[in-house]
Amino acid sequence: MDVMQMANSLPMWIACGIPVCLVIVQACLFLKSSLTAGKEVGLEKAQLNAAIKSSAVTSIGPSIVVLSGMLSLLVTMGGPVGWMRLSMIGSVMFEGLAAGIGTQQVGVTLGTDPMTGEAYAMALWTMILCSIGWVIFATFSANKMDKIQTKLSGGSTGKLMTIASCAIIGVFSSMCAQHLAKPVYQIIQSVDPQVLAGSYKNALACILGAVIMFVLNTIANKKDIKWLKEWALTITIVAAMVITAVV
Amino acid sequence: MKDYYNDTFLPKVNKIGKITGYLGVALSFVPAIVLIVVYGILPKGAALLAAFIAGASAFGVLWFVEPISYYPVVGTAGTYMAFLSGNISNMRIPAASMAQVSAGVDAGTEKGSIVATIGMAVSIIINVSVLTIGAILGTSVLAMLPATVTTALGYLLPALFGALLVQFGMKMVKHSLIMILFAFVLYMGIGMGFFLWLPGSSNWLGTLGCVFVSILIGLLTYKNAEKKEA
Repeated sequence: MDVMQMANSLPMWIACGIPVCLVIVQACLFLKSSLTAGKEVGLEKAQLNAAIKSSAVTSIGPSIVVLSGMLSLLVTMGGPVGWMRLSMIGSVMFEGLAAGIGTQQVGVTLGTDPMTGEAYAMALWTMILCSIGWVIFATFSANKMDKIQTKLSGGSTGKLMTIASCAIIGVFSSMCAQHLAKPVYQIIQSVDPQVLAGSYKNALACILGAVIMFVLNTIANKKDIKWLKEWALTITIVAAMVITAVV
Repeated sequence: MKDYYNDTFLPKVNKIGKITGYLGVALSFVPAIVLIVVYGILPKGAALLAAFIAGASAFGVLWFVEPISYYPVVGTAGTYMAFLSGNISNMRIPAASMAQVSAGVDAGTEKGSIVATIGMAVSIIINVSVLTIGAILGTSVLAMLPATVTTALGYLLPALFGALLVQFGMKMVKHSLIMILFAFVLYMGIGMGFFLWLPGSSNWLGTLGCVFVSILIGLLTYKNAEKKEA
């Protein structure tokens, strides 16, 4: 039997559908209990609805990015596995690397050589074995880290709020700096001009995102325009994307 | 007074999280088992061990560093969800943070953590739905996306990160400027290969370093502010 036929067969769709369903079930259980908890601690229905709406809007763009990244995985590993891997513990970069490491052991270079049954199984097993480390440690440690954080902050609300808002700024500084530093050290290392051009564009998109967001947020806050506050992020991202692509 | 958050919500979150998390680990093997049972393909133990060791040396540090780095941002329920579903920095954290902004609650409070949980759960449902549609449509339809669209999509995440840094940085301008400068220097160092002596690829150092240096600076200034008030 052809490997890709097997990779796209009904048994594989069913087998991959089971873990995907679990991810959805988990999200629904958490959604239900957090909505109940929200009402109990005095959040208004309007606040809960606003939270649902804005997180849905924020997720659409990145979801499409992941989808376009899934393309390469669909070609090499077939629909079911690509779908499962990116719905669960997934990131496009990790999955591609892990699959490549797996097939390499049996002498198949992912994306270049034709896939064999053995290489396909190796890729699948490697993706699974190398990804469960995250889930095991996170599941094991989630409630323990809560205790550590409460202890460190001495239960002070002010300190807990400081920790959380500084952590968010830390994460996004890190993500931005990753794109901003790349063209600079690539100049020093004199890499391929085409690679450098790509890094320039990413850095530009990041700066445009920051600048446009700053302008829109300032206007929205000064004139208290409610719809602009809600849509500022979406407008910013689309504008930054289009400008970067056209320039 | 009855403390719903600590007495009811958190225990429930831990119960759901532990059961679904460990079940998720077990169920992720189902496709591999189907490969054995239905198609009779089992990789050789030695090759698989070699692949696992290669993978573990590349990613092993991340298994521990990422849950610790992201915990202060996503909280307990978020940790259970984010690591089972993946796509943390590019989707879960943006969705959770924007949910807090629109609901008008502060990160780090009980309300904030409940709203972040809602945001993350919604983002998982959207994410999986989009991927499911894409997987069903298949490669033929996805390949029809014009090249300009895929190129432009590549700029979405950097733009999102820049916009979100401003969104959250505007409340703490001085702190954010120091952090972006620190992060830039750190990533220059990583990019120039100054940290290659660290285990795994030293990329994990970026987020870990930024999150904890940011928290440290925040707590130090918080203490100073407290002293001034006292």
